[in-house]
Amino acid sequence: MALEVLLVEDSKTQAAQIKETLESVGLRVRVAYDGPEGIKDAIENPPALVVLDVKLPTMDGFQVCRRLKRNPITQDIPVIMLTEKSGPQATMSGLRAGADDYIPKDIFASEHLISTLQELGILE
Amino acid sequence: MNDITSPYHLRPPIMTVKVEDAMDIMIVRDTARRAASLLGFSPARRAQLSTAAATLAELVLKTGDSHLIHLNGVIDGIKVGLQISSETPWLAGVSINNVMVALRSKLGDLVDDIQVVGKEPPKIFMHVWLNEVRNFGDEDDDDVQS
Repeated sequence: MALEVLLVEDSKTQAAQIKETLESVGLRVRVAYDGPEGIKDAIENPPALVVLDVKLPTMDGFQVCRRLKRNPITQDIPVIMLTEKSGPQATMSGLRAGADDYIPKDIFASEHLISTLQELGILE
Repeated sequence: MNDITSPYHLRPPIMTVKVEDAMDIMIVRDTARRAASLLGFSPARRAQLSTAAATLAELVLKTGDSHLIHLNGVIDGIKVGLQISSETPWLAGVSINNVMVALRSKLGDLVDDIQVVGKEPPKIFMHVWLNEVRNFGDEDDDDVQS
């Protein structure tokens, strides 16, 4: 049975693109469109991986990541932040929040995402 | 092409990217991730290294001239690391202390050490060591939305 990924992304267009990338390597994807919805979803039905945007309504991705990493139910779920914010401060904020990787949304994003999934053991 | 040098012993991988336009920043970031992967850095450390390399690429791009950014493995005793380096002729005549303060301010904790060496032209060397355990600390939940 395919592993399930929770994608937290407020842009429906970008969510569809990332979902397509993840499904192309055999993963099942469910989408939450804001931080609180993502946290609730992760706690109620822990996924194998969370892919998280930074710019989200209500609660940003850094806060979502910290909350996931502090909750005993979700703390061991790998979190990959996939974001347009690629500067030094944003990267450090993501890593300090406990993200397992911080990937800018550029032309290499899909490749880096898949490479990290392999590294984390999500993909063989 | 300028020679690749280092305060430490060089080891593979040895990669160089010519930075001429904004697209090259993405290529530097990608190359840094690949080099870090070859050396065995974790995904989180790769993110750190690639951001540091991209930040240096952004800086050199602002000078208006093309520059080479080198990404290569280094060894210091038992430590293995990745070096990001570039010649920086635009820094000739600028106080090294001021350069270091500016770089540290820009790069924060992304790299373990930064060195500016020589004068004709000065070279920037940044290193992240594989064997060093880094503690990113913890931030409060009350961060301002960014």
